[in-house]
Amino acid sequence: MSDSEDLELQALQRQLDDAFETTRPRPGFEDELWTRIQAHRPASTRLRDAWMGLIQGIREAPAVPMGAVAVLLVVVLGVSVVTLSGVHIGGGSGTTASLSSGDQQQFGPEAGRNGPPGAFGRLPSPVLNPVPDKATQPTMAVPSSAYAGPVTLTWTGKLDLKVTSAPVFRYSEPSTNAADQFGASLGAILRFRPTGYLGAYETTDFSVLVRGSVQSPAREPSFILVPIRALAPIDAAGGPTDVAVVFLAQHSLAPTWQYTAEPTPSGDQTQVLLQRQFAVAGYGYAHLVDGSGERYGVEVDLRGNTPTQATGPLPLSLDTASYPIITADEAVRSALASSPPVAASPAPSVALTTAELVYALVVAGDHSFYEPAILFSGSFTVDGKTYVKRVLVPAVDPSQRSS
Amino acid sequence: MLADRPLFEDLYRAYLGRIYAYVRAQVSSSADAEDITAQVFMNAYQAYARFEARNTTPAAWLFRIARNATLDHFRAHGRRERLRRTIEHQPMAEVDPSGMAEERILYRALLERVGQLPERQRDAISLRHSGLSFEEVGMLMKCSEDAAKMLYHRAVKGLREAVEKEGG
Repeated sequence: MSDSEDLELQALQRQLDDAFETTRPRPGFEDELWTRIQAHRPASTRLRDAWMGLIQGIREAPAVPMGAVAVLLVVVLGVSVVTLSGVHIGGGSGTTASLSSGDQQQFGPEAGRNGPPGAFGRLPSPVLNPVPDKATQPTMAVPSSAYAGPVTLTWTGKLDLKVTSAPVFRYSEPSTNAADQFGASLGAILRFRPTGYLGAYETTDFSVLVRGSVQSPAREPSFILVPIRALAPIDAAGGPTDVAVVFLAQHSLAPTWQYTAEPTPSGDQTQVLLQRQFAVAGYGYAHLVDGSGERYGVEVDLRGNTPTQATGPLPLSLDTASYPIITADEAVRSALASSPPVAASPAPSVALTTAELVYALVVAGDHSFYEPAILFSGSFTVDGKTYVKRVLVPAVDPSQRSS
Repeated sequence: MLADRPLFEDLYRAYLGRIYAYVRAQVSSSADAEDITAQVFMNAYQAYARFEARNTTPAAWLFRIARNATLDHFRAHGRRERLRRTIEHQPMAEVDPSGMAEERILYRALLERVGQLPERQRDAISLRHSGLSFEEVGMLMKCSEDAAKMLYHRAVKGLREAVEKEGG
């Protein structure tokens, strides 16, 4: 072999070294695969790893009294057993996702930390969706014939707010890792990460898309589950709502929060909406409403007894803090002041007749909030068409609000 | 003894990239490389309880699993089927930013040429440049260290000729 040939071969070998060293999986693959591996760990292996980690930690630690080591062993092993068994200890958990299928039904949302009153600081205010300019015409209506143009408001209803404070709930924006854990809890494998989503997952039976919070219209992190092939009909005695709940339970997606069920049939299809509620001590349950003032939660679409789609909020751990809220009189004054007097005569006059305590989502970056609000409603008719006017008044005392 | 060997996660973090690169040099798409790499570490995780550090190095052990998984992959699907699927998936790969990023790397073409070498030559180059010693390459390919060296050098020469022939 000539010197030049030798040099060429050496150059090629260096290129090969570089080629192999620079060929790596896409960013995120390492953590995704590790999550999948973790999902396949048998409990005995997890316990062994926890044990080995503990032993290693003790070896590396400076000398401590043996009694303290014994106590530490008991505590850590106790925690390990509880963690491995899937039992969640309420409060104090630093994790953001509450993904165990063994979550117990509870009064209110998923357990998180309970903070002292006002623990989240000043809060951004919830609002109904902004309405386009043309909505000043009475014929413009947002979905469900809701009306958002200028009106002259009056209040003829009765609002009884005996509570002086209400909880605010906060969640942390889930990471792709949390979404992967959610996918793994369904037995689904990550396929890819579409733009705008945390991940797309699949089992042999269905696909699941997971996305994070949406700023406008405000929507919490959510999933959408679509069967890949026709699923078998579900035999449930209680009608569409039971079919929907059984389907969700089969996939560990049954809500852990309180809800009211509203099935809406249309031909051979039924949309079952499990409307989410939040517990307020001294008041009862308050519905969660979206940017249009509509109640929402988990939705399951059925054709006959066969589920065709399910969508709902990602199960997340919620921190809680109590906040002072305004009085009923203050709420009414705010509602009436929300629509300033209109000089033009065509502005319709609307009597707000109902009001209820609700919860509305405020998306605010890394942390978002479910905040109490008062939703006023009244219907009116223009040119023979009936509209609904809704006014959302933030319930948290103005001194605790940033906007 | 459990304490004689590294935690599996340490092994995983240390070797994932190298295993992926080895597999990627054998198959024609990054999607297949990911699938096989995932299978490698799933299998390794299941088998780690039986891993004996005194009999082999963790690298040789993992690359043996990777080699078997890659061979299984070819056996299961056949090269023709792989080619068809690769062509079918080409548009998808192009819109995948991570796929594009990988395709842009400087040495992609070189690895593709490695992938076109005869199987044993391809294997020798891939194992050697994934960081294994000739002794380990020989162990995995069931030949002596000297035979592994000879095979490797023949493979590099063959690769150089292929590069020259294609004007690379």
